[in-house]
Order: sequence, then C-alpha cells, then structure tokens
Amino acid sequence: MNHALWTSVARAFRRMALPLASYYAVTLALPLANGAAQSGDAFIKHALVVLIVPPVAIVLACAFHSIAYAFGSACSSTLAHQRARKTASRDVSNPAQC
Amino acid sequence: MKMKLLVLAMAALIAWGLKRHYADARADDLGWILSPTARLVGVMTRTTFALQPGEGYFSRDRLFLIEKSCAGVNFMIAAFGMLMLALVHRVGSGVSAARVLGASLVASYSAAVLVNAVRIAMAMWLAAHPVALSTFSAADVHRLEGITVYFGGLVLLYELAQRFDRSTVLLVGQKP
Repeated sequence: MNHALWTSVARAFRRMALPLASYYAVTLALPLANGAAQSGDAFIKHALVVLIVPPVAIVLACAFHSIAYAFGSACSSTLAHQRARKTASRDVSNPAQC
Repeated sequence: MKMKLLVLAMAALIAWGLKRHYADARADDLGWILSPTARLVGVMTRTTFALQPGEGYFSRDRLFLIEKSCAGVNFMIAAFGMLMLALVHRVGSGVSAARVLGASLVASYSAAVLVNAVRIAMAMWLAAHPVALSTFSAADVHRLEGITVYFGGLVLLYELAQRFDRSTVLLVGQKP
C-alpha cells in the first residue's frame, strides 16, 4: 500500500511537472525577476505558501486516489467472492442435467 | 526545429506583451477579461456586477468588487505558456504553427475566464461563510483557495490538452 502510494506520487509528479513549472514560473520566477524579493517578509511568506501548497495537493490527491482504489478493489473482490459462493451452492442444489 | 524555436519565441513575446499590458492597464482597460468573468461569476452566484469606472465590477447586494488584481491575467499567461510547451511538437509548418498559437491563446483565455470565475465565486462563498479555523486568517484562506483553484485549473487544462492531443493523433493517424 505504502509502496504503491509512493509510486503513484512519483508518477503524478512526473505527469504534473509542466503545470507545476508553469505555475511556479508565473507566481515565483516572474515576480522575483521584477524585484519582488525586495519587499522582504511579505514575499517570502507568499513564496513559501506558493511553493508548498501544490506539491501537498498532489500528494493528498494521490493518497485519496489510492484509498479510493483500494476500497473499490476490496469491494469488488468481496462481491466477486460472494457471487462465486452463490453460484457454487446453486450448482450443488441444482446439478446440471444432460 | 527552426520553426518550433520561432513559435516558442513568438509565444514568449505574446506572454511578455500580455504581462506588460497587465502591468500598465487600469481596471477599465481589462474589460476584455474582467467583463466575461464578472458575467460568469454573476451567473454562478445569482448576482449582478456593474462596472464601476476606474475600479472594476461591483456587486451591490454582495458588497464584492472584482478589481484589476482579480483579472486572472497571470493564470492566462501560465496556461498559455504551458499549452505552447505541451503542443509545440505539433508544429511543422507555418499553418500548424498559427493553429497551435491560436488554439493555445483561445484555450488559455477561456480557461482563465472559467477558472477565475470559479475562484471568485468560491471566494464570495467563503466571505459569506467564514471558516472557523484559528490557525488561518481570512487572507490565508483566500490565498490557499486561490493557489488550489489556479493550480487545479492548470492541471485540468493540461490533462484536457493531452487528451485532445492524443485523440487527434489517433484520428489523423500521424502528427500534422
């Protein structure tokens, strides 16, 4: 589960690299190029939040997806197991006739 | 290769022009993006926004102003740059270059209006229903909401562009 989660997180980061880079370029690189760093603490606080939130959102989305996938798999395997048991009991009570 | 570099240079020039226009513009000059955004927010939140010359679009019943800094031009620039980088591999001739540039511009503009309208509608809802979290101020919540919606919008737009790219390649059978 843990390994699967980290694999999907790594895959998501590879997939989101371009949107993430575009977002950082406009929210961090451009203001820095325009001298926003001179505004001091306000920009540093803003930059920290902008840097941290998107990766955290990606990790949370992956965790949510993994949990939903695991839950869905567990549900479908339980349903399949129940269906198989039902079929088996029907086969015993009504043996096929030739 | 030369054509691709030329198109990327043109895209950079367009992005720079947009940024310059945004830096120098007053709210009235940004009607091309503020007006459809205000109309869409009005539909989403069932309120009307009226133009306040020099200020932006104001809703009297919600006491909410959509001003220059809410225009979403930075999102449009990010979306345009991202789409250009994602689709530049389709450029092979002058016609395909114009098609990729035009499609990226239209898509980034539409996405900016839509995503920004969603962000503003959510901000209006949050302003009316303040979240009771002692660790976050109203400004922090607004900032978090903005980052999440804008980044989520970029990711969705990228996924849509990728799907469109794959489906047209499949339909045509080869890259144009």
